[in-house]
Amino acid sequence: MEKLLNRFLKKPWLVLVVFLIMTVGFFKVMKSNSRMETDLDKYMPQHHPAFVFSNQAEEWFNIKDGIIIAIENQEGIFNSGTIQKVKDLTKALQKMKEINKDDVTSLYTADNIIGSEDGMDVRAFFKNTPKTDEEMELLRTNVRNNEMIFGRLVSNEETVTVIIAEIEDDVFSQEFYKQILELGESFNGPETIHVAGRPIVEGTMALLGPADMKRMVPIVLIVIILVLLTVLRSFKSTFFTLLVVMFSTVWTFGLMAAVGIPIYAVSTMIPVMLIAIGVADGIHLYSHLHLYMNKNPHAAKKDAMLDMIKGMWKPVVMTSVTTAVGFISLLTSQVYPIKYFGIFTAFGVMMAMVFSLVLIPAGVMVFGLPKWKKQKSDNGGNKASFATAFSAKIVKYKYATIILTAVIVFISIAGIGKVWINSSFLEKFEADSDIVLTDQFINENFGGTSTLNVIFDSQDNGAFKNPAVLTAIDKMQYDVEGTLQVVGNSFALSDYLKRMNKVMHADDEAYNVIPESQELIAQYLLLYEMSGDPENLWKVVDYDYKKANLTFQLKSDNSKAINSAIEVIERHVPELNKLNVDLKYAGSGYKGLVFTDLILQGQIASLVMSLIIVIILLSLMFKNFMAGLIGSVPIIITSIISFGVMGLLNIPLSTTTALLSSIAIGIGIDYAVHFLERYKIYAAETGDKILTSRHTMQHSGRAIVFNAIVVIAGFLVLLFSVFPPNRALGALVSLNMFTSFLGTVTIMYLLLFVSNIYFKKR
Amino acid sequence: MKTKKLQLVLMAILIAIPTLIFAQAELTGLQIIVNVYNRETGNDMQGDLTMSLINSRSAQRVREIKQFIKDFSGMEKKIMFFVSPADVRNTSFMNWSYDEAGKDDDQWIYLPALKKVKRISSDSKSDYFMGSDFTYDDLGDRHPTVDTHKILREEMVDGESCYVVESTPKDEEYMYSRTVSWIIKDKWIGLKKEFYDEDEELLKTLTVKKHEKISGYWTILSSEMHNVQKDHTTKMQLTNVKLDTGISAAKFTERMMKRGL
Repeated sequence: MEKLLNRFLKKPWLVLVVFLIMTVGFFKVMKSNSRMETDLDKYMPQHHPAFVFSNQAEEWFNIKDGIIIAIENQEGIFNSGTIQKVKDLTKALQKMKEINKDDVTSLYTADNIIGSEDGMDVRAFFKNTPKTDEEMELLRTNVRNNEMIFGRLVSNEETVTVIIAEIEDDVFSQEFYKQILELGESFNGPETIHVAGRPIVEGTMALLGPADMKRMVPIVLIVIILVLLTVLRSFKSTFFTLLVVMFSTVWTFGLMAAVGIPIYAVSTMIPVMLIAIGVADGIHLYSHLHLYMNKNPHAAKKDAMLDMIKGMWKPVVMTSVTTAVGFISLLTSQVYPIKYFGIFTAFGVMMAMVFSLVLIPAGVMVFGLPKWKKQKSDNGGNKASFATAFSAKIVKYKYATIILTAVIVFISIAGIGKVWINSSFLEKFEADSDIVLTDQFINENFGGTSTLNVIFDSQDNGAFKNPAVLTAIDKMQYDVEGTLQVVGNSFALSDYLKRMNKVMHADDEAYNVIPESQELIAQYLLLYEMSGDPENLWKVVDYDYKKANLTFQLKSDNSKAINSAIEVIERHVPELNKLNVDLKYAGSGYKGLVFTDLILQGQIASLVMSLIIVIILLSLMFKNFMAGLIGSVPIIITSIISFGVMGLLNIPLSTTTALLSSIAIGIGIDYAVHFLERYKIYAAETGDKILTSRHTMQHSGRAIVFNAIVVIAGFLVLLFSVFPPNRALGALVSLNMFTSFLGTVTIMYLLLFVSNIYFKKR
Repeated sequence: MKTKKLQLVLMAILIAIPTLIFAQAELTGLQIIVNVYNRETGNDMQGDLTMSLINSRSAQRVREIKQFIKDFSGMEKKIMFFVSPADVRNTSFMNWSYDEAGKDDDQWIYLPALKKVKRISSDSKSDYFMGSDFTYDDLGDRHPTVDTHKILREEMVDGESCYVVESTPKDEEYMYSRTVSWIIKDKWIGLKKEFYDEDEELLKTLTVKKHEKISGYWTILSSEMHNVQKDHTTKMQLTNVKLDTGISAAKFTERMMKRGL
């Protein structure tokens, strides 16, 4: 390795030019092939049984996510202007090529099943906008009297009505998103038009994600430049360190584009990661060079480079490998975007290592040694005495240190129990953002913007014409809606039958129940097929009446809401099983829930795996298993504190914060590596434990503090993100870096001191 | 099966005059469609109808229906009794459709489980008949004057020499933007028909699988309507067809609906 690096030194120009050309190549690939993934279904493992089933059920019952357009008129919607808008907007949506004509539901397209003395009518609520007051009043009465519509398409206060346009997963594009928003905008005034629904949430995220990244990268760069200038005190060094991280970022995204992997929301964090992590190598190399030049002010640049490579290649490789391992451990996740995030960040880290070891020396060879600005005052003496005092104090108050650590760990463990996973996509947005407010508005007026589908399945032909089965389902609907605030509405075959039973008995409320005989149910359904739109039936039941679909409308898409609904539903399962009916769940909300479970499992797996690998790597690097164990203590404590803080501060695990432990381990372990490396060297040099401690604390301290400052500064920039989970991640990683750093110089140092490693054999 | 209105008789004469004068002259699109409209089909008909509905996943539902149809002055009456599936057996459906333009059909249904005859109504002729791919309008005879007709070409289909006629509705709001029919020469029976939706895209294809001369009338015995956009198919098969048996007018009453088969 060292020989190879030295060989590069002989042809620095060639090295620089070759790397520059390759980077330009990667940049071109990145420019032309990069693609942002906006379909959230693509984020989920498609082979997982829950997803396979859900996708199948979505096809059976034509379950799709809907764009919800709400038309609000404070004066009430029953006036010719607003009603005409409902019609015009419905027609405009139906004409869009991305939307199936039959998939638009509004007051204009809905079937009104009405009863009369001598029969039943299935009619449109209106064809032409009512002109007279009488006609308008009739429309209002019809809406009020139809529980399949009132509260579902028209709010109870009659000030809002919604149009729902269901779309396929694959038709969504930025262009379509813009068109929908523009369409809504064009109908504004005097009515207010609100646009919501999962496709819109996804679309907004797809739009904000890259915008957020574009905003974040320059800020990170500025912060890092400032930190680098402070730490390295040289423009030349700062420039080459930056070059390293920019090259590694370009190569990473170039590779991603070259192998055809799209940019997922989580991948937008990679540049921030690489910039914050990648500069560490540069800092170590330049500090070493600085120390060498202080000792040998007249050394030739070639000798300085040879010494730098000799002294530093090992720790640079070691810390980079351990960081990469932390990210590679994300491969255990079943969630592809997280897997890719792990692989590509690890690749970027390794590239940053290569560039640091090759480009920085080449840069010095070509452009000369950096000129360091003079430090204002040499406080090296102060630092040394502080380090000496610090190491002595830690040993002196060792019980206090241990007890304090134990208390913090204990409190954190208590907090871990409170950590919850959040699958909500909506909660990735600011609480006062337009999209969240619109969602709240619709949830206040209607059943809910999120859905949970319950799919019933029976082996018996015609099972869902059996009154006992339908009554059991109806009971479940009543129970779930009644028990849970968060469930606003439900819709199933039972609703059609109750409505028809009622209207066929002259609107008598006593007949708003499931009919008593299978014959009557079958005959009502036949009747509905004759007079209504049978397509609607196939959204709630299948052709053979062996499968049925019940849709719950929820006012929140977070995991707590969905889980609470499932809990109540599960209470009804034994009764349904007795009737030979099974149930499973489907829909995007449920898939999100399964998804978060997978994230949690992946979390635990990747955490355990990265810990094991890091311990093995440390043991191998320091040729001592005990050193490996002791070295992992700070990151174990860091992980516990990190999850504890999440629990105590009510920060949920999400696709973003799930990356935390791997990042924490991967980066946090670097401090332990540097400390152990120095400790080992000084132990061999001095053979004296107290002296070794002092030297290690003094020399390693500087590098570790610099390293921690850079990473913390870089990640704190994430606090400027528009996505709350990204901000949480930034704050938590910064916290983790701080605790790893503190853990390394306190408890790990203490354990190292007490264990007598590297002194036993003497 | 249609009671001819005076207007139509006049029109037929008007069309016949030039035909008589210029015996060699080619038929116009309108003439062909009028010939189909005026084809004699008997005064009444009864038979067993098997309706198979097949969805895009090839799931199939079969309904067996016994039907009676009779022409009255200014209207056509139809009564249908369900034979199977068992849970809808004896459910009956009666439809009176009027020649008068714009007058909605009268419809009744008898649900044996409810023991009541109920009036039902639907918005328009563009509604699908019993969940099939046929609209009420597809099943009935569309008056030739509401469309403009154009002969596209002549071609052989299934060994039959056909006129290919394109019909475009005069009413722009109509559910189809145009239809194309393959009419067998001399028999004046449609062998195939394509329906185009409002966006000018092919929506459905009707194929006549079997036609026979029964009691001297050309009668369609088996047809298939395929909705190409939804990949949904309806097969209609008629068996035990009897024509001109003199079905009593009393057959088409609520009392008969309740009595069942």
